[in-house]
Amino acid sequence: MSAAVEVAGLSAGYGNGAIALRDVSFTATAGQAVAVLGPNGGGKTTLFRALLGELPAATGSIDLVGMPAYVPQTERSRLDFPVSALDVALMGAYARTPWYRRIAGSDHALARAALERVGLTDRAGLRFGALSGGQRQRVLIARALVQDAGVLLLDEPFAGVDRTSEEAIMQILDELRAEGRVMLIATHDVEQARRWDQVLCLAGSQIAYGPPVDTLTNAVLEGTYGEEIVMLDCGHRAVAIQHHSH
Amino acid sequence: MRWLTDPLALPFMQRALLATLLLAVAAGLLGTWIVLRRLAFFAHAVGTATFPGLVVAGPWGIAPPLAALGAGLGFAGLLARMTRRGVTSADAATGLLLTAALALGAILASDVYRSGAGVDRLLFGTLLGLGDGDVALAAGAAAAAVAATAALARTWLATGFDPAGAAALGIRAARGDWLLLALLAVTVVAVLPAVGALLVSTLLVVPAATARLLTESLGALLAAAVALAAFQGVAGLLLAYHLDLPPGPAIAVIGGGGFALAALGSSLRRAR
Amino acid sequence: MEILRSGLLQRALLEVVIVGATCGALGVWLLHVRNAYAAESLAHAMLPGLVVASLVGAPLLLGAAGGVLAAAALIALAGRDTRVGAEAAVGVTVTTAFGLGAVLALAPDVPARLGELLFGDLLGTSTPDLVAAGALGLLVTLALAAGHRSLAAAVFDPVAAPSLGVHPGRMQLALLALLAVAVVAAVQSLGNLLVLALIVAPAAAGIRLGASLRAQIAVAASLGALAGLLGLVASAELDVAAGAAVALAAIALWVMAALLRPAPAGAGAGAQGTRRSPLDALSG
Repeated sequence: MSAAVEVAGLSAGYGNGAIALRDVSFTATAGQAVAVLGPNGGGKTTLFRALLGELPAATGSIDLVGMPAYVPQTERSRLDFPVSALDVALMGAYARTPWYRRIAGSDHALARAALERVGLTDRAGLRFGALSGGQRQRVLIARALVQDAGVLLLDEPFAGVDRTSEEAIMQILDELRAEGRVMLIATHDVEQARRWDQVLCLAGSQIAYGPPVDTLTNAVLEGTYGEEIVMLDCGHRAVAIQHHSH
Repeated sequence: MRWLTDPLALPFMQRALLATLLLAVAAGLLGTWIVLRRLAFFAHAVGTATFPGLVVAGPWGIAPPLAALGAGLGFAGLLARMTRRGVTSADAATGLLLTAALALGAILASDVYRSGAGVDRLLFGTLLGLGDGDVALAAGAAAAAVAATAALARTWLATGFDPAGAAALGIRAARGDWLLLALLAVTVVAVLPAVGALLVSTLLVVPAATARLLTESLGALLAAAVALAAFQGVAGLLLAYHLDLPPGPAIAVIGGGGFALAALGSSLRRAR
Repeated sequence: MEILRSGLLQRALLEVVIVGATCGALGVWLLHVRNAYAAESLAHAMLPGLVVASLVGAPLLLGAAGGVLAAAALIALAGRDTRVGAEAAVGVTVTTAFGLGAVLALAPDVPARLGELLFGDLLGTSTPDLVAAGALGLLVTLALAAGHRSLAAAVFDPVAAPSLGVHPGRMQLALLALLAVAVVAAVQSLGNLLVLALIVAPAAAGIRLGASLRAQIAVAASLGALAGLLGLVASAELDVAAGAAVALAAIALWVMAALLRPAPAGAGAGAQGTRRSPLDALSG
């Protein structure tokens, strides 16, 4: 299996010289889902931006095939924008449509299919902002499906999401893994991280990378989250994480 | 119908009407993007900042649109420098720079060039005294707005909707936005002869804001903004003619009334 | 210096110094709550009130007060619809207010004093004007002094403030009310369009130069007064419009402060450095 994402010695920062992320190295192969854990400000977003090509890497290298699809948190989108769920899904076809061409009929069909896949066919015509948080997240995933990218970057896709949407999203992600795509999922949910293939712990620099059983240890988690963590020890290793409000 | 046909028999009114309709296209289209992309304050500031340029245009022998453009671009450039790296908040910097432009214009007007009464015309427009050049500029702006909207609507919409994800979608966000700013500058300069430096928002923001209260989809927004701008402009023009009022301000008052009506209707509908 | 000999200039000097100091101090608070835009909008949207007062021969202060109240109410109403957005709604209100003021002022057979209303009539300060400015300035200063601790709590620690018995929302309203008073006082000297200079520039400079909050306020008030003095002297010596000269003096002082003490690096670093869009810095 060839590597779909290979990052070696990556350090990246913002223009004023401050390095936000130090020395990150990991390899993810096709069909792998990587949970990206870490406190806010620890570099998860910086990593994603670097992978999207928005931040020039200070040092190190990024090797990935094609442009990743980005599924952001929905608060960052403009909820009052005059776009329907279908419009948003269609945005996934923009990269392959030159500015002087209308969006192809085949892409329209793809968008509808993607919405059906996330279970939102009957909401296709509604304004994006009128949907619930979980439904909005699913629309953004549909957009990523239309993009047909090999690599998906998801920013806390389960945050504040209702049960139905959570299950629908989980199912899609499993399907995408089976299709051989690579997913990086930024999350605060340690329990959820256990079900993915690899875990990357970031706290300004790389604390650990590996299968959950190796990385989700007390030592690593303390190293990642520092004082933000509250550990409960009642037989099973249950961990509660406090994080700052955004 | 005499109230309509009588004024339109006069050449200067015909020119005013033509310019108004052309500007309605330019300002309605661009105004939609201004409101969607949260550029209302910036647009108003650029308009106001052209004031010193307009003041010196005559005495220095520069074509007013060029002088205005120069002043506007100078303002935008200074503003960009000041807000880069978050050194000053955009609000404060915009407010200060536009006040500086007004003060500078006032000094140049009243003392250096003694054009006291002319300041009114520069600030509030001379829709009834347009030249052919003004109409040509309006036509150019309208054409540019139509072309740019056709080519860049997708880009502008996607960039505004999800700036973080735009790059991943293959959107050239920066390039699209530079073009948007350029078009904004051109449109501001085009509406100046009609409504003056203080009132550019009345065509560039008010119709689009009113449209936002009435409709949801992008296509409908663009069409409604143009239609409202046209209606507002023509109604203001006729009102000014018959009641002997300054036309730019008359257009502004009608625009405000339209927005108020739409807001009232919208909140009544929601209360139901 | 001639300025001390002429009664007219003495009054103008006193007026502009009082106004400058008051606006400077208040401006510091407004900038800390990030409300420069509210200041601009209120100050501009009251033009019709001024014009009406001028037309019916009422004291300007009355027209200014009425105009400010109407403007504040309309701005609050207009901003309620989230689709349009507060920024655009304020723009609609301000431009309509300008239009209304101009319609009233420029209609024929009306003694138009539009120029003075827009740019001020500092040299026409009468003794009643001066007394009014003094009273209003005192009011604002006392209010700021009395409320200093509550304001500081509300602005710098809004989360903890309620437990300290301070309501951030009410403090914001109080600040806006004081802003209205200050603008009413300042409109005689600088006019509707230029008051913003005295409200924002000395305050921005004060924040840049002052180490503590009290120092910032003190510096801002002093710079506001200084701007008034410098502007008036420049206007007398160079024979240029007085209000505009004061406005430019205030802004020049701010530029000097910015050059003297560049802002800390890393401010707002988060969004910079990414190759995004020129609109990131410009739009609201």
